[in-house]
Amino acid sequence: MRVLVVEDEKKVAKALREGLEAEHYDVRLAASGEEGFFLANHETFDCVVLDLMLPHRDGLEILTTLRKRGLQTPVLILTAKDTVNDRVRGLDSGADDYLVKPFAIPELLARIRALLRRGRPDQILKLQHEDLDMDLVTRRVVRSGQALDLTVKEFEILEYLLRHVGRVVSREMLTRDVWRVAARATPLDNVIDVSIARLRRKIDDPFPVKLLHTVRGVGFVLRRERG
Amino acid sequence: MRIAVPTVRARLTLWHAAALTLVVCLFAVGVFVFVRTSLYRTLDQQIREDLATIEKVYREETGDLGELALRTGMQFEVTEGSTVIHRTAGWPPAGAVPFRRAALDDSTHRIIAARDERSVRQTLWTLAVIMATAIPCAVGVAIVGGYLLAGRVLAPVGAMADTARRITAESLDARLPVANSADEFGRLAGVFNETLSRLDAAFEQLRRFTADASHELRTPLTAIRSVGEVALQRSLPTEGYREVIGSMLEEVDRLARLVENLLLLTRAEAGRIPLSRAIVDLRELVASVSDGLRVLAEEKNQELIVELSGPVAVHCDATVLRQGITNLLHNAIKYTPPKGVIRVAATSNASGDAVIEVQDSGPGIPAVDQQRVFERFYRVDQARSRDTGGTGLGLAIARWTVEASGGRIELESMAGQGALFRVVLPRF
Repeated sequence: MRVLVVEDEKKVAKALREGLEAEHYDVRLAASGEEGFFLANHETFDCVVLDLMLPHRDGLEILTTLRKRGLQTPVLILTAKDTVNDRVRGLDSGADDYLVKPFAIPELLARIRALLRRGRPDQILKLQHEDLDMDLVTRRVVRSGQALDLTVKEFEILEYLLRHVGRVVSREMLTRDVWRVAARATPLDNVIDVSIARLRRKIDDPFPVKLLHTVRGVGFVLRRERG
Repeated sequence: MRIAVPTVRARLTLWHAAALTLVVCLFAVGVFVFVRTSLYRTLDQQIREDLATIEKVYREETGDLGELALRTGMQFEVTEGSTVIHRTAGWPPAGAVPFRRAALDDSTHRIIAARDERSVRQTLWTLAVIMATAIPCAVGVAIVGGYLLAGRVLAPVGAMADTARRITAESLDARLPVANSADEFGRLAGVFNETLSRLDAAFEQLRRFTADASHELRTPLTAIRSVGEVALQRSLPTEGYREVIGSMLEEVDRLARLVENLLLLTRAEAGRIPLSRAIVDLRELVASVSDGLRVLAEEKNQELIVELSGPVAVHCDATVLRQGITNLLHNAIKYTPPKGVIRVAATSNASGDAVIEVQDSGPGIPAVDQQRVFERFYRVDQARSRDTGGTGLGLAIARWTVEASGGRIELESMAGQGALFRVVLPRF
């Protein structure tokens, strides 16, 4: 999977490259709008990550031009402007998704996965990791043959973690995708922490191998590893 | 061509003098007409008396008419048809000396008498001269007096202007002198002083906010920096670095949330947040917020009582109002000690407005702080660590969400007895 990252801020570009390469993407960096435009026109990518605030050439302008030329590649825009108008303008210009700076790398990775999955219908009816099984139809959760009694919210969190298994899920992602709250100023972090603690009590406490881990300062991850 | 705008003092004086002149002139004309009329009436009365005397003498002793003229000095003429019976010497009176005459007609005779009116004219002339000299003098005195008086009356305005000119953003605590709070200038100064007080309060709030904001923003920055610097001073095991980076990321998170909240408030204050209003059932909203935060209360073994009575519909932006109620309830859970009780109610009051009440059993808010808890970054307990305190913007945001929904937020609390936040929204 090839990803083009158009970002002029060196540190952010480096972080994006390393974050994406850790997920085994083939990353090309463009430090200016012109370079990004040239690369997007002359090479093939599976996904483009485009910063909107670029020197010389506005990101939106590049995007509009690329779309006019028939470029079909999914584009994720990065912006520091988060008013509704800015988002609408971005999406109208042909972006497939947007992320507001400062964003969390795990979230960016999740968005890119979603963009690359797009068009392929989600036929998953069962999720499974190690000895943990989740049936999305009967909404039953079983670990080591033992049925677990989860609340609706806990089920949704676990489902989200299972869908992003092995990858870090940030509190912001949970806020938006599980709690479905768009306002970033809402103080949900405590609620998330408590809910995660309760989920952990149910799925991990009775078992020797722990699956749900907290990554300090970033979020949570579901995987089998060092406790 | 430039027309100089006269000062208020000059205009006051001119108007005053003009009005006075007009009144005095009207008065003078009135007096003159009255005096003239009464003088001539007296003269005419005398002439009529002369006529009566002459007639009496004519009827009784026609021959004595000459003697009558001699003794009294009367001027008259008696005729019968075209025959002159008697005519005094020098008749008819004419020439330089003005005479006033009157006639008495009978079927047989006609008597005309005349009297010298010089003394009347003399009196009237004297009166006119007196008036013509006195009026300009009076007007002159009025102008000078008026000018001086206007100067004295307007002096406070000049003083106020001087003081006001010296008041700047740095010296907003200065006030205008109020000589007499009951008169117009006193009231003006009072109003100006009130405006200054409000301005002073606004500036003070801004200063406090700037100081608080820089403190709140610098604290996480300092933490990030020092944690990073200390970690780089020595080698750590991998796990140690994870801890350090995790700790730095936590501060970044705090900083990001702070910036988020500040931006929200700034946009809200600038009126740049578009609201999509719809009819919202407050019961549903309150129930959903309570359900969302219930885990927090459960974790602290608190009892969260939700009271919903009757359908309460309001017209507002549900997302915005939800955030406000979430903040209020979050606060209530935060400040209520473990095993305490929190009550949330959606109901309506006597005047039909929708009411949301969030009652906690925390330490309460002292009266002195109640006005200011809704200010940005205001903390009742100044020493409270940032771990228990949130961003310090929750209540400010809550107030905005309620006011943006057309409602108001009230606080009832006594130290030690919990706090009751009441949101009143106009019922749809």
